[in-house]
Amino acid sequence: MNQWLDERLHISRLNDKFLRKAFPVHHSFFLGEITLFSLIILIITGIVLALSYEPSNSLVLNSFDPGTADKPNMLPAAYHSILKLNAMPFGDMLRRIHHWMANIMVAAAVIHMMRIYFTGAFKKPREINWWIGLMLLIFAALTAVTGYILPYDNYSYNTVKVVYGIAASIPWIGTWLAQAAFAGNFPGDGIIPRIYGYHIMLLPGILLALTGAHMLLMIKQKHTQPQYAKRIAYKKIVGVPLLTQQTPIMLMLTLLFAGIVILFAAFIPVHPSEFFGPPSTTPINNIKPDWYLLWVFGALAIIPSFEFTIFGGIIGAEFVGAILLPTVVIAAMFAVPMLDVSKDNNYYAENPTNHPVRLAIGTAFMALLLIMSVAGYKPDLISANILTTANANTVLWILMFVVPAVTYFGTIGIVRGIRALREADERDAHSHAAAADD
Amino acid sequence: MTRYRKQDPEITRRRFINAAMGTTATVGIVSLVGVLGTANPVFRLTRDKMPPVEGDILVHAAASQEGDPIKISELSEQLVRAWPMGKDKDGNNLIRKGDPNNVLAVYRFPKGQIIAPTIMEATVDGEIVAYSDVCTHAGCSVADDDQTEGQMKCPCHSGQYDPKRGCIVVGGPPPRGLAQLPIKQQGDNLVVGGFFLANPYPFTESEWEARKEAVKAQLA
Repeated sequence: MNQWLDERLHISRLNDKFLRKAFPVHHSFFLGEITLFSLIILIITGIVLALSYEPSNSLVLNSFDPGTADKPNMLPAAYHSILKLNAMPFGDMLRRIHHWMANIMVAAAVIHMMRIYFTGAFKKPREINWWIGLMLLIFAALTAVTGYILPYDNYSYNTVKVVYGIAASIPWIGTWLAQAAFAGNFPGDGIIPRIYGYHIMLLPGILLALTGAHMLLMIKQKHTQPQYAKRIAYKKIVGVPLLTQQTPIMLMLTLLFAGIVILFAAFIPVHPSEFFGPPSTTPINNIKPDWYLLWVFGALAIIPSFEFTIFGGIIGAEFVGAILLPTVVIAAMFAVPMLDVSKDNNYYAENPTNHPVRLAIGTAFMALLLIMSVAGYKPDLISANILTTANANTVLWILMFVVPAVTYFGTIGIVRGIRALREADERDAHSHAAAADD
Repeated sequence: MTRYRKQDPEITRRRFINAAMGTTATVGIVSLVGVLGTANPVFRLTRDKMPPVEGDILVHAAASQEGDPIKISELSEQLVRAWPMGKDKDGNNLIRKGDPNNVLAVYRFPKGQIIAPTIMEATVDGEIVAYSDVCTHAGCSVADDDQTEGQMKCPCHSGQYDPKRGCIVVGGPPPRGLAQLPIKQQGDNLVVGGFFLANPYPFTESEWEARKEAVKAQLA
């Protein structure tokens, strides 16, 4: 069959060009693959969910509990279809796998990005792929946010209300933008069809296109080589080819990973729509966004109130916390390849301890986001009596500056220690070698 | 091989193609923007989306008793959520919940506890007071504070309000207090006495004035 295909499609050329791509063997190089597997599983489970989901927020009769003729029990169609989906065999399980997988995909992407950052893999010639990767992260977050609005339970409803408010807080264009994005004044009659369109067509399309570009660039530019490759064969590509050596490893990893996520989904419920109930005026206590947006949520919780007007546009705490601050953070991440530049093409993954400032800035940045995420738990910290209403903001603001600073200098100190030990080792080895020569 | 060269008298092929593609791209982008403009549907101020107007009866918003008029005996220092209920064109009862920002918070405090800057004329005997229940920060429903008795807290970003002092902000990120709604007693029920006394979420002052005018014009 190979020959039959080859005569018609020249697949041997495809084989030479793509399928023999060498993959470095190192566990940290599997993180990007895990992100890709998650995306594939998300698409598959998403397709199955879309078969039974009804994208509409018009009211329908609750078929589980129709109420009486003069007081019928009406529910939004989307929420009703989620109830029906939950009642299907493995329906709830599918939703949980989809939801867990989304959370884990972002986690894998973030850890993958940490590997790229700490080993300097974003340097010339791979800056473009760093930027594409960041766009993937942003669009993955947007896809996830539109995703947890779709069940249209009370939690989703409150979430989308806040998201709408954030969009509307942009000065000058906010109101128009929010109405255009969410099909009219909240909650417009077309809000769920609109978000459904984003979630299953627009955003996955962008994600797939960006993923394709990310992969092609990676094949074209090759992975950075792990340090051991330098010792084995200097300036040569070392690794196992995609077909057939890397493929079974990937398959095994996919199955193992999928198994773990399915176990998660089986034992840890996520987003229990029936528990939250249909959209209502009752607020949800301790409502939180998904983990990767907690830092924005935390920033909103501790930024004190203010509001001023420039040229007719209102700039408030909400805009600064939820739009301006994330923009600055994302811009900083985009700027990374321009701040840490190498003149020559970078072949080898760098040892983080050889770049202590980059390492320390990275860990301090993570510490900052972590503290901001902790600030997202402000109400919980207050009800647990760890902080009081009066001191919560002050304490959290101080932590936001102190913890990253301590992390920065701590990292520099530890790296110095490691390097001193390594130099001592090298001296030892030298003197031993010298002694053996005598 | 002869090299073929010819001076084009008017326009080179490259320039023509560039100009044609540029025009196509411009027209395409302009029309795409035009189409995107229709993504924003026209807002129609129907009666179910109007803010509470004079004469509306306050009814329960909680799912179990939604639509039942609130009785004064049911009120306490615990928050009771309410919708304004008006009439549609045919005079039938209509709960104004088309706009979720119409949800109200109603309290009854012992006499003397409600103090300035609450507007006393808008309360019932200085005991019963009603506010917009929508946080001015990000538009979440505000609830009772589980830490401090008699205060309100927003579960989203912990904005805090004091309903005994005109719902001024006493903590957290909200830019301004909750708008007070004038209410009157009518038998055992509560009736709205007029528009919110300040701009409620999500209106700015000028937008709120415009909305009030629009409502008056439509109901006149």
